[in-house]
Amino acid sequence: MENRWIAYLIPPLIVTLLLVAGSQFVFIQNSFYQDLGLGRTGTDLTLVNYLNFFTDSFYLKTFWITIKVSALASLFTLFLGFPIAYVIARMKSRLAMLLLAGIVVSTFVTIVIKVFGLIIIFSADGVLNTTLMDLGLIDRAYSIIGTQEGIVVGLMHFTIGFSVLLLYSVVVTVPPSLEYAAQIHGASRWRVYQRVIIPLCTPGFVVGGLMIFNMCMGAFTSAALLGGGRVLTLPVLVQRTVMMEVKYSTAASIAFVLLVSVILINLISLIAIRRLRSARLVIA
Amino acid sequence: MQTWVEKVILFVWCGFSYVFLLSPMVVVMGASLHGGEFSAAIKFPPVDPSFQWYTKIPMQQFEALGLSLIVAAVATFLAALIAVPAALGLVRSNFRGKFIVTTIFRAPLQIPAIVSGIAFLQFYYLIYDNSSLMLAGTIPGMLIGHVFIATPFMFGTIVAVLQRFDHRLEEAAHSLGAGKWRTLYRVTIPTIMPGIYSGGLYAFMVSFADVPMSIFLTAPGFVTYPVELFYALENDFDPSILASSSLVIVFCLVMLLGVQKMVGLETLLRSGGGSAR
Repeated sequence: MENRWIAYLIPPLIVTLLLVAGSQFVFIQNSFYQDLGLGRTGTDLTLVNYLNFFTDSFYLKTFWITIKVSALASLFTLFLGFPIAYVIARMKSRLAMLLLAGIVVSTFVTIVIKVFGLIIIFSADGVLNTTLMDLGLIDRAYSIIGTQEGIVVGLMHFTIGFSVLLLYSVVVTVPPSLEYAAQIHGASRWRVYQRVIIPLCTPGFVVGGLMIFNMCMGAFTSAALLGGGRVLTLPVLVQRTVMMEVKYSTAASIAFVLLVSVILINLISLIAIRRLRSARLVIA
Repeated sequence: MQTWVEKVILFVWCGFSYVFLLSPMVVVMGASLHGGEFSAAIKFPPVDPSFQWYTKIPMQQFEALGLSLIVAAVATFLAALIAVPAALGLVRSNFRGKFIVTTIFRAPLQIPAIVSGIAFLQFYYLIYDNSSLMLAGTIPGMLIGHVFIATPFMFGTIVAVLQRFDHRLEEAAHSLGAGKWRTLYRVTIPTIMPGIYSGGLYAFMVSFADVPMSIFLTAPGFVTYPVELFYALENDFDPSILASSSLVIVFCLVMLLGVQKMVGLETLLRSGGGSAR
């Protein structure tokens, strides 16, 4: 009986392996040849692309900016996503479905359209700038394009829908009965959050936060459009190195650095899951 | 019970999140209705609402939309062909190294799409060097890339459904005399259908929205809609892209309603984002 099911597994596994291994192997291998520009590469294996990356302050600064905007964006996303997830998880009426529909639609619509909307909102004569100027809060039009703040906002739009779905699955693991129990024993609502909901959700926040951080690290579209060529992140740099400078090996080495950092974060979150799970078992 | 202070805080906090979340889409749809002069073309809130830009969408954008729809539909179908047997085989069998096999099926999710994009481009160049078969800038090449990024979403949702599957249903079918193929087609597949639908929807949407993978695999005259829009925003554009973007948003809403009718949003919630990643 068991063998029959394993037979189902073999064809898709071969296809997937071929795609994963084939594509990843080729570009990783390319990254170890010296880049001679215009798509030409040297013939000897060398680490020169990586040496360039880790000694050039431009690349290191880009790397740092990528980490910084991703960290900020994931923190803000969790902050905005948590109340929605909590409300949807606890709500009993049909309204929850409507709230959920809003989230799902926003995960479906391509990020390019959302960035387009952001560009309109933040344009010099757009809604936000004129309102703020009328209120006297700012004295000249503020643009987010080409700034790190702009990229953070873009990354938040890229991840928030997913983060709500993720946090929802965290909140539903905390049964409402625990909240009632705490309150029957005299805890205030504030104390329920402080001592019941937040502690029980923290493992989910940590793991979810790392996943969102990962998404941000690899996010291309929003970072490219809102960075406007003035602020670069690693994914944007990969695309520009290929399309504008036609340096395939250099781009491959940057992509590999990105890939390795993302995999490292994944490993950390995997270890975090294990740790937090075992810690919880001890308490129980 | 929640106190009213808490309700107010949650309401304001959620309201702010929703305004943040939905405002770009509302603004795009609103601005597309602007009917004023050409010079002040992008305006929100719109002045003299009209559908003038909807009649001026150039052919190029419809072609890009058409290509995106075709690629997403075929990629979803191919992703199902890979994901359904993979999920069935993986959940039902028990062997050493199962964890590694799961990781391989989920791997494309962990790889940033931009990395996959450049990886496939160089992969295609290598194939071209060895067999003079050019995949970059062709439909098959685009499809392979999209299947690669879309399959894990389908795999994740179907695995989630299968793990809750009641084995006794199959045993019952079997003891009532159904053969193993008949059991598969009449019992197993219909029960996991909600997972296939919602996973398929995710796969479709991931493919339909993709920029970082497609941008490397396009060619002049062969551009998917999000990439077309990306280039328009990077360079300069006229308001007709507001109109076509609004059509895409409406299309996404229609898809959402379809899912709500067919399997219900809860299925999407249970099996969607969380488990897929």
